[in-house]
Amino acid sequence: MRAARSAIPFAAPLLVLFTGLVHAGPVKIGVLETLSGPQASTGIAYRAAVRYAVDKLNAEGGWNGAPVQLLEYDNQGGPAGASDKLKAAVADGVQIVVQGGSSAIGGQITEDVRKHNLRNPGQEIVYINVGAEALELTGEKCNFHHFRFAGNAQVRTKALVQAMKQANVLGTKVYSINQNYSWGQDMERSIEENAGPGGYQVVAKTLHDVNKIQDFAPYVAKISASGADTVITGNWSNDLLLMMKASKAAGLKVRFGTVFLDQVGNIANAGDQAVGHYVAQTFNPEAAGEEGAKFVASYKAKTGRVPVATEPQTVFGLEMVADALRRTKPKAGSLDVNAFARNLETTKLKTPMGESSMRASDHQVLLPLVVSTVSADAKYKADDTALGFKPVKTFTAEEAAVPAQGNCKMQRPG
Amino acid sequence: MVSAGLTLVFGMMGVLNFAHASFYMLGAYFAYSLQGVIGFGPAVVLAAVLSGGVGVIVERFFLRRVHQYGHAHELLLTFGLSFIIAETIKLVFGNYPVDYRIPAALDFAAFTLGRQQYPVYRVLMAGVAIAMFAALFLLLRYTRIGIVVRAAIYKPRMAEALGHNVKLVFMGVFGVGAALAGLAGAVAGAFYTTNPNMALEVGVMVFVVVVVGGLGSLGGAMVASLLIGIITSLAVGVDHSLVDVFALVGAGPWAQSTGGLLTLKLSSLAATLPFALMLLILLVRPGGLMGEKA
Repeated sequence: MRAARSAIPFAAPLLVLFTGLVHAGPVKIGVLETLSGPQASTGIAYRAAVRYAVDKLNAEGGWNGAPVQLLEYDNQGGPAGASDKLKAAVADGVQIVVQGGSSAIGGQITEDVRKHNLRNPGQEIVYINVGAEALELTGEKCNFHHFRFAGNAQVRTKALVQAMKQANVLGTKVYSINQNYSWGQDMERSIEENAGPGGYQVVAKTLHDVNKIQDFAPYVAKISASGADTVITGNWSNDLLLMMKASKAAGLKVRFGTVFLDQVGNIANAGDQAVGHYVAQTFNPEAAGEEGAKFVASYKAKTGRVPVATEPQTVFGLEMVADALRRTKPKAGSLDVNAFARNLETTKLKTPMGESSMRASDHQVLLPLVVSTVSADAKYKADDTALGFKPVKTFTAEEAAVPAQGNCKMQRPG
Repeated sequence: MVSAGLTLVFGMMGVLNFAHASFYMLGAYFAYSLQGVIGFGPAVVLAAVLSGGVGVIVERFFLRRVHQYGHAHELLLTFGLSFIIAETIKLVFGNYPVDYRIPAALDFAAFTLGRQQYPVYRVLMAGVAIAMFAALFLLLRYTRIGIVVRAAIYKPRMAEALGHNVKLVFMGVFGVGAALAGLAGAVAGAFYTTNPNMALEVGVMVFVVVVVGGLGSLGGAMVASLLIGIITSLAVGVDHSLVDVFALVGAGPWAQSTGGLLTLKLSSLAATLPFALMLLILLVRPGGLMGEKA
């Protein structure tokens, strides 16, 4: 009895805290990105894009007459940090969490969000995934409160293979080299699955440690020994650069089909070694035409940089969020997350690249893709160099799409 | 492996220096900034000198103050320093890799092996590493300076009593160490990538090499770096997994279907092998390959 009474002073503030959560006024969006440490450059780019989109939403009137609040959390580059900061965000009243920087972190957030929503009915939160491309997030881990606004290994590889085949640069022998974690393994599987339609044979496959290898020469020796014409890889950052440099240094005559060659700094560092290699992008200003030019100019005016790599897809993703918000009527003055999520399932958006829409069955966005090659003829140059990404072929959202994965069994709230 | 040159110095300095890899990064960035003004060759040399200068300043004004408190303080100080250097680099040069490349004049093949060319720059890097090793070895083993340095490190009191300026020697050794790391960075930064994470990328491997080779042993570091280089390179080419071992006794299909650890290919572990080697060394021979008996 005494113990129970002494617990009251502690419990009371907690109760106040929880009841306070239910009646949160303005919508709060939390960015949960890597803002410090080695991978900070990736996270900061996502944050810039989210800020741009939220500013735009507020300039157009916000939600329910009030501006949307943007809160920023540093996940410190790992799932553990993300998990902690997600709790902090929930305590701050965040209802919409945005992240994109890593599939490992994305996997943690989607699980935490699912558990939180199971335990706190009526106080759901939703995870807006703008860049974590691992297939399991829309496959076995798919859940009603997760939405992906980026591509994935299947759509990227499909577009890459088709465009390279049409441009007659694919050859018949493909070498698959990827990083040994969920994303790289997805890429390897997709490269094999596309062997039939692409008319090639996967001569060898390699999975290697992520961002630990300084010297890619032994891998290049393997590629050389396999006699491959083309290397398809999902590698990003240093692993991609070092591999291209090593193959160039070895005088290897192979073409690279990549996914992340358009990250900032890659073209500056690789220089001429990148010429003639291919990349599957979610946005290319030259392919997007006049609308693209307008978007680039507006983004540059706001942030001081042109949008590259994952920034455009993040902006378009948040614009779809804004659209769904507008269609969600407030319930007792605050946002009903489940109603918002249902509206997000039916969102269509006209982006400069074409129409994007959300697929309700697995919450994977269907978005247009463009395959480009590094060339001096490109209209928009990258990294202040003489080189840029020249579009080779664009795909509409339907052309780029692949069917939803069979292992996605989505539980919908009643 | 290029880290050979870098690690050689590291072992003998007597201070646990977490910031050593940061000097490597500084060297690369100095050379990158200077190459446009004075050309590639002079830029590399000057970058080494500048890194050494920073090293001298660090020793004189920071390390000297904490030296008397022992290794833990030195370690913490240099650990903090490595963060400060990395953040400063990010502030000045941005978060992304910079445009630091091998000059066109050095970008050709030395010879061809089968279908593959061997870049001349790689020969050059190895040459620099070997020259560094040879110069250090000769300097320490056969000259008067070497005698004084070794004396100052192992018996500082005695050396001081004999009239040598031990503080100056320490400053000099640290400066030379930093300069050599800078030189390695300036040379390697062009071949690999020059980005704000490069210190982190080589830093861990540096420690592995030093532990495997034996703390304080130049020859040990050399042998360890070669050993690690060869093991990782060879491992990349080995596509075997435990399944093949089981297949020898006829349990291949069972192991294949079990999956998990059993189907993990050795080649996908190449970058992790040095750490496994380090563990093995620590278990079997805690002092390292050529280290003193603990």
